Amino acid sequence: MSSFEVPSQITIHHEPAPNTKRIWRAFWILSVVTLGELALGLSIYNIHKGPNPSEMMVLFFKGVICILTLAKGYYIAWVFMHMGDESKLFRRSIVVPLLLFIWFIIAFLHDGNAYREARDSNAGEFKVIKNDVPAAVLERGQKD
Amino acid sequence: MSSVASLHESELQHAGHDAQHEHHQQSFLTKYIFSQDHKTIAKQFLITGIIWAIVGALFSVLFRLQLGFPESSFPILEDILGKWAPGGKISPDFYYALVTMHGTILVFFVLTAGLSGTFANFLIPLQIGARDMASPFLNMLSYWFFFIGSIIMATSLFIQTGPASGGWTIYPPLSALSDAALGSVRGMDLWIISMAFFIISQLMGGLNYVSTVLNLRTKGMTMTRMPLTVWSLFFTAILGILSFPVLLSCVVLLFCDRNLGTSFYLSDIIIAGKVLPHEGGSPILFQHLFWFLGHPEVYIVVLPAMGLASEVISVNARKPIFGYVAMISSMLAIVALSLIVWAHHMFVSGMNPFLGAGFILFTLLIAVPSAIKVFNWLTTLWRGNIRFTPAMLFAIGFVSMFISGGLTGIFLGNAALDIQLHDTYFNIAHFHLVMGVAAFFSMFAGLYQWFPKMFGRFMNNTLGYIHFWITMVGAYLIFWPMHYSGLAGMPRRYYDYSNWESFKQFGGMNKFISIVVIIVFITQLMFVFNFFYSIWKGRKVREANPWDATTLEWTTPIRPGHGNWPGELPEVHRWPYDYSKDGKEFISQITPVGEEETGPHH
Amino acid sequence: MASGSLPAGIKWWSGGKSPYNVNYGKIMMWYFLVSDSFTFGAFLISYGSTRLGSDYWPDPNHVFNSFPFMGHANLPLAFVSLMTFILIFSSVTMVLAVHEGHKMNRKGVEKYMIMTIIGGLAFLSCQAWEWTHLLTGSHSVLVDGKVEHWATTITKNPFGPMVEHAGQLVATPGPQLFGGFFFFITGFHGFHVFSGLIINIIMYIKTRLGHFDQRGHYEMVEKAGLYWHFVDLVWVFVFLAFYLI
Repeated sequence: MSSFEVPSQITIHHEPAPNTKRIWRAFWILSVVTLGELALGLSIYNIHKGPNPSEMMVLFFKGVICILTLAKGYYIAWVFMHMGDESKLFRRSIVVPLLLFIWFIIAFLHDGNAYREARDSNAGEFKVIKNDVPAAVLERGQKD
Repeated sequence: MSSVASLHESELQHAGHDAQHEHHQQSFLTKYIFSQDHKTIAKQFLITGIIWAIVGALFSVLFRLQLGFPESSFPILEDILGKWAPGGKISPDFYYALVTMHGTILVFFVLTAGLSGTFANFLIPLQIGARDMASPFLNMLSYWFFFIGSIIMATSLFIQTGPASGGWTIYPPLSALSDAALGSVRGMDLWIISMAFFIISQLMGGLNYVSTVLNLRTKGMTMTRMPLTVWSLFFTAILGILSFPVLLSCVVLLFCDRNLGTSFYLSDIIIAGKVLPHEGGSPILFQHLFWFLGHPEVYIVVLPAMGLASEVISVNARKPIFGYVAMISSMLAIVALSLIVWAHHMFVSGMNPFLGAGFILFTLLIAVPSAIKVFNWLTTLWRGNIRFTPAMLFAIGFVSMFISGGLTGIFLGNAALDIQLHDTYFNIAHFHLVMGVAAFFSMFAGLYQWFPKMFGRFMNNTLGYIHFWITMVGAYLIFWPMHYSGLAGMPRRYYDYSNWESFKQFGGMNKFISIVVIIVFITQLMFVFNFFYSIWKGRKVREANPWDATTLEWTTPIRPGHGNWPGELPEVHRWPYDYSKDGKEFISQITPVGEEETGPHH
Repeated sequence: MASGSLPAGIKWWSGGKSPYNVNYGKIMMWYFLVSDSFTFGAFLISYGSTRLGSDYWPDPNHVFNSFPFMGHANLPLAFVSLMTFILIFSSVTMVLAVHEGHKMNRKGVEKYMIMTIIGGLAFLSCQAWEWTHLLTGSHSVLVDGKVEHWATTITKNPFGPMVEHAGQLVATPGPQLFGGFFFFITGFHGFHVFSGLIINIIMYIKTRLGHFDQRGHYEMVEKAGLYWHFVDLVWVFVFLAFYLI
């Protein structure tokens, strides 16, 4: 099996990164953020346990956790995966498609929520079917 | 930052040197079977696609027999199909299996793998001036994963309970419960496994196409000097990379529901009098996931078709393509929009109507870039010095089909109309014209155009003309009447319409459509004959550039070896559409811009 | 932050070179990861959609509250935090291995690859323990008026709403899909960790054999590293979706 060389596509060679300080800094940031998330997670737990769980408070904490997670994702991609060292257009070509997630998440979560509301507004009918199968249905099944 | 390496050129020359010497070492196995040459892989995709196309089209003939002649029986069918056609009449279970397989095969195996698999592999390296794909090995694997998927799907045709029969969209719960239909017993599992292989194949292919277009363009080939074919295949690959993984997630969850007892898509189901334990899932979730791929898939089919048609039209109208940048930006707009409109396939399935409004808006926006493209094609044709080769006829046919099918898309994009029309033949007519027939026309255009490059011979022109006219007229005769029956409320997916008083009036029309289908099918067989006959017996190509085209593939030898260009890679000096400029018929991309040449220089 | 721009003065898009100054292999790996993030994204978003579509969803703090060798102590989030740190740390050793690769220091690459592999194994072992704990644990559930003892599986969930039964608070069956999504998504992630581990082991062996020294660069290690960091990245989001919110 012969093939020719694929020509080297790198025009410029980067010098190796000078030191590992950046990596360790990212590690400490990630650790601190994770600890912060844990603290928030535990406070959600305690709010739930408490006498009057405040929905708004829980939602707020969850929102903060989501933002912290995005920050973690940024550090992993930019420092560990060296995305920060790539050219601007390459970074964009990766990040821009990921923006699709915004509509992906909004549409799916919105429809999941709508599904629950639609179902709950007909909850009575559903119960009848589940607990008490109409005799006619059972009969037909046996005949088949 | 360090120095600029001038290594590059010497490496390219070295590569050319290698390419000349590699012919001696190949055995049959490495040259034709496990070949890593992009041209051979393209032909493998093409021939597998042709085989699948025959199978898929034959299935449509079979179920059209049932639809057109519900009262008749064809004893020969029982001889061939056995228990699937007792007494020579196709059984309802088999009817649904045929429809399902027709859709699956044609959408995925023919119009995705067969169309972009063939032309992306064949044209990208040749038209951007590369020796091969970025990773020839992954490219080979891409074909063989497709092959394995094909084998599994073909196997499912022969198992006792038959292939999947829940429609090509395999909606649960029908597809998730083996008690629900014969095709859901084992055929569905094979469908899913086959599709998993297919998705991996598409992914490997797509990654390869994208990195090849980015990294391996030859000197001077800027992005805006690439032919529109390459642009369209590039966008197609991007769409595939972003949407096929979601189909994988979608079918893997379905597989769990079928085999592990989870209930991702199932809730509150009674089947054969038995209450199932599944609870909490939502079949609408499946539809969302499926169409998240499913809609981009439509554009995965039609974008390469647009690119091929653009190129063929420009070459044969002997005119530069009108609005080159507008063509690219409208394709980009289509890519972006196609990823956010998936739920317009679900207006009738119980999706939240408020959400539906957003999807209507995005959907109707697609009309804008599509219209830009259509008008650009028409303006390219306008006052052109048109050569009516079979390729050109099919490209014009593509534009015609795309307009006819696209206009009804504006109807269906509105939820208020779609709720009336979605489950009728109107919808069938719409998507067959706009993505089925149109994409096929472009594929034919591409084949007639690049056959000389592929095999060093021409296809027979007379057969080509017959092929075009019968297919063109036939396609309209088949799908035009369906608009009317659909508007009159004739539903899709029924096995026998003669049972309903309201649809009896369409009996004659159904019969007529079925007869045309058979004629058109036979014409396609004639094309297949022409194709294979011409590979060995066609008129030989004597000159390197038989169509007087400007693009790079015509600067290679008539039958290029692995590596495409003996010696150095060509250098590009201009865009690919310099036709009828400065009194010259055409100016090849490798011709440097002359001093006296009038602008603009692209 | 390092400068992320390419030097001016070169026509990067003029053909004959990579416009991003990146080899095709790395481009393919990055775009593959984009693609794979859509696979994971689809799973996680389906989970979110189902969760919002259910009337009741168990609080993860109740489900994931144990720690090996700690008996029945109520330690919500503790174990999964340990797992998160293991994975982040193995990511650090991986990036250090890549760093040593840039310097063409074979011994350094070997050292950090070994540490990464150990980190991956530790993570998988933790996951195995957690799965075992869920699949074999036993919780009282009120089913049809009788108290049964259930484990958490893909079809059963003993963490439903509490009701009073015979003077005591007892849980009722919870949403089946809690287990379905949990085992499926963590399983799919675990599969990625496993395949990353295999890739890393191959990279370690190739380093030992000196393949990369012969080739003159350690780009393969870099690509394996990208995959490994991606696995870490996904875990950050799995951690978010299943344990934190």
